[in-house]
Amino acid sequence: MDPVTAMYVAQGMHGLAYGMILFLLASGLTLIFGMMGILNLAHATFFMLSAYLCYQVIAWTGSFWLALLIAPIVTGIIGVLLERFLLRKVHAFGHIGELILTVGVSLVILESVKVFWGTESLPVQIPNVLQGLVTAGGLDYPIYRLFIIGLSLVILIVLMLILYKTRLGMVVRAAVSDADMVDALGINVPLVFMLVFGVGTWMAGVAGVAIAPILTVFPGLADQVGMDAFIVVVVGGFGSLGGALLVAIICGLLNSYGVQFVSQLAPVLMYIFMAIVLVFKPMGLFGERE
Amino acid sequence: MMNKMLKWILWLAGFVFLILYPKLFGIYYSNVFVTFAIFALYATSYNLLLGYTGLLSFGHAMFFGTGAYGTALALTHISGFPLIPALLAGALAAAILALILCPIMVRVGGTAFAMLHLAFGGLMYVLALKLRHITGGEDGIGGFDIPPFSIPGIVSFDMTDPLQFFYFAMVVLIGSIWILWFFTKTPFGQIMIAVRDNAKRVDYLGFRVPQTKAVIYVFSGAFCGVAGAVYALFQNLISAEDGFHVMTSFAPIMLTMVGGIGSFFGPIFGSAIFGILEELTTRYTERVELVFGLVLIFVIMFAPMGFVGTVKMIKEKWFTRQGV
Repeated sequence: MDPVTAMYVAQGMHGLAYGMILFLLASGLTLIFGMMGILNLAHATFFMLSAYLCYQVIAWTGSFWLALLIAPIVTGIIGVLLERFLLRKVHAFGHIGELILTVGVSLVILESVKVFWGTESLPVQIPNVLQGLVTAGGLDYPIYRLFIIGLSLVILIVLMLILYKTRLGMVVRAAVSDADMVDALGINVPLVFMLVFGVGTWMAGVAGVAIAPILTVFPGLADQVGMDAFIVVVVGGFGSLGGALLVAIICGLLNSYGVQFVSQLAPVLMYIFMAIVLVFKPMGLFGERE
Repeated sequence: MMNKMLKWILWLAGFVFLILYPKLFGIYYSNVFVTFAIFALYATSYNLLLGYTGLLSFGHAMFFGTGAYGTALALTHISGFPLIPALLAGALAAAILALILCPIMVRVGGTAFAMLHLAFGGLMYVLALKLRHITGGEDGIGGFDIPPFSIPGIVSFDMTDPLQFFYFAMVVLIGSIWILWFFTKTPFGQIMIAVRDNAKRVDYLGFRVPQTKAVIYVFSGAFCGVAGAVYALFQNLISAEDGFHVMTSFAPIMLTMVGGIGSFFGPIFGSAIFGILEELTTRYTERVELVFGLVLIFVIMFAPMGFVGTVKMIKEKWFTRQGV
């Protein structure tokens, strides 16, 4: 294969891997913001927190796999606590209340992280199995990026199966569309919402661990990737997992090819994409309800 | 009669206080006051949308930033540009941006309105960061000459003198807030509130809802631009981070919530509360944002009506107890 095509394919792989991490983060947000209608600006902060927890677990145990298991779960538990004791009480004030609360929470988490770990970027080592390259068709692929793509796909499929093929998923979807009715049927709706919120933050946690070895761990992580994830949810359409997947991949590719062709203006592309979509479809590509 | 007189006395007292303020507290606190007044105007013009018309925007920093960049660019590139036209250039730039966006924005409401603003606000932020040859990128535009405020042949005030700038800023900012206050008292201001409460009925009554929203939108944008322009003059520097960052967009929402939503003066109180809080916390700790975060959580959990609402509640309680 000639070098130019190889470069395009390599850039495409980078974009795809970033898109999948974005999707992991965004799918959690689409559950929380898109389906439950809770504006959670702390989502990206959980993502950053999980990256730090990953660093800490590796520092203690030396195992990346253990970090991949523990960090997202701890993050998810913190998310559940946030929902149970704070967010639930301000739901009555609508998006403004949630905005104020989650901005407050993310400021507290961000500052605490700076107190505990400092502001420098911390490196995260990936295990030997994931290091190196795979050669196929005359091209080299970094294993770690393939691993991320695979992991994201597995989570997507499991999530889709739970959401659309099980009784639990049916209850969740029903609770989202008409909470009062489902409550009247004797289902504990607040518990369901707490669970969904927990799963959403857990996914943010997984994305945080996945990105830690690529970008290193630093406080600005939330700003950098969080906004992109927000764009994905909004453009994909509220509550649409498929939309989030499609837009995440588009954004990932826009990002990596953008860097190649218009290097300086790469981030602009994504916002222009978002603006154009929203001007014509205010509820996003696959969004239906207000 | 008594009430009216009391009002005038209060106004006069406030006026005298403002004139004496720099003498009483010194230049440092005068500058703190200017910052407070800038954010008070910014939040008040934002509240025209949020509190009065019921539109939640996540991207109003773009008007603040455009106003600031408009003034800064005018002063950088046109030598000998006078002060007032520079200020108006900022306001005009913001108003034009609002005019361009309003055909899109007035069609939607609710979450879509907020998200569209997030998109365009983000776009402006990245553009300000990346179009280095125009905006100076991360460094922003700074060090431009601040022209004196002069009426040719009569007077000239040196705006680099903090004291004289203080008075100038006060006239502009308080004047703008007064115009906004007056605006809400006109019949048009009543329609504005009606649009928030029941847009459909306003439509049936024969008022044009989208056009009404468009006028308010441009008005609000222009005054955010004024706040931004004064900010640029005051700091003699405007950067993408200060002007367009998403936190700058959220600032007026927080100020309004902490001050009290649904009241004209809420955002002003909110701005004062945050100003005082920042002054107090920077003395003891570097973690100002941690304190801000805790305050936000506290306010939304325990005093969701904000300062004005809480005061009103306490007042009512107190008065009913007196009655019994």
